[in-house]
Amino acid sequence: MSGKGLVDAERRRFNAIALAPSLIVLFAIAGLPAIYLVVTSLTPFQLVNPGSSTDFSSPLRNYRLLPGDPRFVNSLWVQAKLSFWGVLFQVLLGMLLALLLHTQSRVVEFARTFFLIPMVLPPIVVAIIWKLIYTPDISPLYYVAGLLNIAMPSLTSSVDFALTAIIIADTWEWMPFTFLMVLAALQTIPDEFSEAALVDGANRFQIFFYITLPFITPILVISGMFRLIDSVKAFPLVFLLTGGGPGSVTEVTNYYAYLLAFDFNEIGYSSAVTIVLLLLVVAVSFGVVWMGRRREALE
Amino acid sequence: MTGGTGGPIRRSASVRRLAAIGVTLIVLLSPFLWLLQMSFKSNDLILQFPPPLIFTPTLENYASLWQGAFPASFVNSLMSASFSTALALVLGVPAAYALSRWAGRGKHALSFAILVTRMAPPIAFTIPFFLFYRWIGLLDTVTGLVLVYTSFNLPLVIWMMQPFFETVPRSLEEAALVDGAPTRVVFLEIVLPMVAPGIAATAILCFLYAWNDFFFALILTRTNARTAPVAVVNFMNYEGWEWGKIAAGGSLVMAPVLVFSLAVRRYLVSGLTAGAVKG
Repeated sequence: MSGKGLVDAERRRFNAIALAPSLIVLFAIAGLPAIYLVVTSLTPFQLVNPGSSTDFSSPLRNYRLLPGDPRFVNSLWVQAKLSFWGVLFQVLLGMLLALLLHTQSRVVEFARTFFLIPMVLPPIVVAIIWKLIYTPDISPLYYVAGLLNIAMPSLTSSVDFALTAIIIADTWEWMPFTFLMVLAALQTIPDEFSEAALVDGANRFQIFFYITLPFITPILVISGMFRLIDSVKAFPLVFLLTGGGPGSVTEVTNYYAYLLAFDFNEIGYSSAVTIVLLLLVVAVSFGVVWMGRRREALE
Repeated sequence: MTGGTGGPIRRSASVRRLAAIGVTLIVLLSPFLWLLQMSFKSNDLILQFPPPLIFTPTLENYASLWQGAFPASFVNSLMSASFSTALALVLGVPAAYALSRWAGRGKHALSFAILVTRMAPPIAFTIPFFLFYRWIGLLDTVTGLVLVYTSFNLPLVIWMMQPFFETVPRSLEEAALVDGAPTRVVFLEIVLPMVAPGIAATAILCFLYAWNDFFFALILTRTNARTAPVAVVNFMNYEGWEWGKIAAGGSLVMAPVLVFSLAVRRYLVSGLTAGAVKG
């Protein structure tokens, strides 16, 4: 490295100039809002009450109210149910789909692309599509049920089925993601393993459970964690399909925070709800990073 | 991500497998196809029971969209998505290059920033942005949308572009540097042309993220800067649901997405998972 001192200095200057604008902008449009959110969460800020935005007399009031707010506690449960079932179905169905499409054939490789459509559609269009399917007057689903003489309740306005209806739509939208991840993992499995097992007389189920599954387990876990983190973003589905109802059976925390801020004008309290949600998401995110690092270390 | 080198056992797809794939594909895509066919039906046909599967398609829904405020919202979507993509690229591409060539401590700090902005629920940004915008008059402006979309596109650019820069051989750059070319010239004239495909893929993903947004546009716009996704939802109003318009508008909103995402499907996973595992 001797004799490169001048080049190094010039390089460092370039790096600084190249990085500085991004860092400044990131701080301004992501860092400052985050700080402001924390500040707001310490006030009883209501839009109709201007002085309230700078009232720090009881900074932890919002946070103290949270555990006793049945709607908040309920929203966490709703989110937990939506996340659990959604992630479970997405991982299982994504894996099955990947196994089905993991084969060498021009036709199949071409077809794979079409399986990705639900994931790339604008989330609001996905919500519109499922609104169609859940609206009895115009839904093909209700038509088919009618032909088969099955009495279909109105799914999105039923206490028993509304959350299931959202989970089904969420699974449809995001199953392609786990499919894509698992397919990528399947393609890294060396042929020799299953070839050797075949020679030894193993059947397909044995190959799956003893060779394929151990190989793809890390990616199943990681893609599940990704989906878990992103499952708080199911906003368009809740917004369009149920509006959080009936009652509050589909009111996830994200949606409750939205209502608090933009329907009830409770900005301060909504900020506190959001911070708790954010902390939960960050905790899960760290889990993903930690697992990703561990996996890299193992390889 | 697809098409890895250590492929599966060489066996061609059996007829049974192909049939299973075909059926699965039809089942999976039928909700999407239902919206599409509805967009070509007149309102009488849409409400007809049983739904006719064979009908004479009409463009009247699209024509009625053309007459209303929808084209303006489409232009708002185009502008906010394009400008935020451009801004994120201009800022993020040099930053990604600097990061890929510099193993300093800042790398981890930035990775962390990326992680949080990607993972945070959108509501965490909406409340502060809404209050700021109300204060400085950026509510219901395309500029306001561009800024908020840049907040999630910039981290995406920085994260997605680094691996592309890693593929450029250092020996090329070093030769030019030894010849006395400043880093800026090496970057602009040697490195950038080599990563052009990566920039294109990243740009498309940024565009899609901004284009697909519903939440920010719902809260931060009213009429002037209303985007197409919000405009479509506004066809669901109290006077009745204009299903024909909803289907046609929805189809138009998803059209660019379908075209673009086919173009970048190789990068979809890395784009969607930006900033997490490699953090």
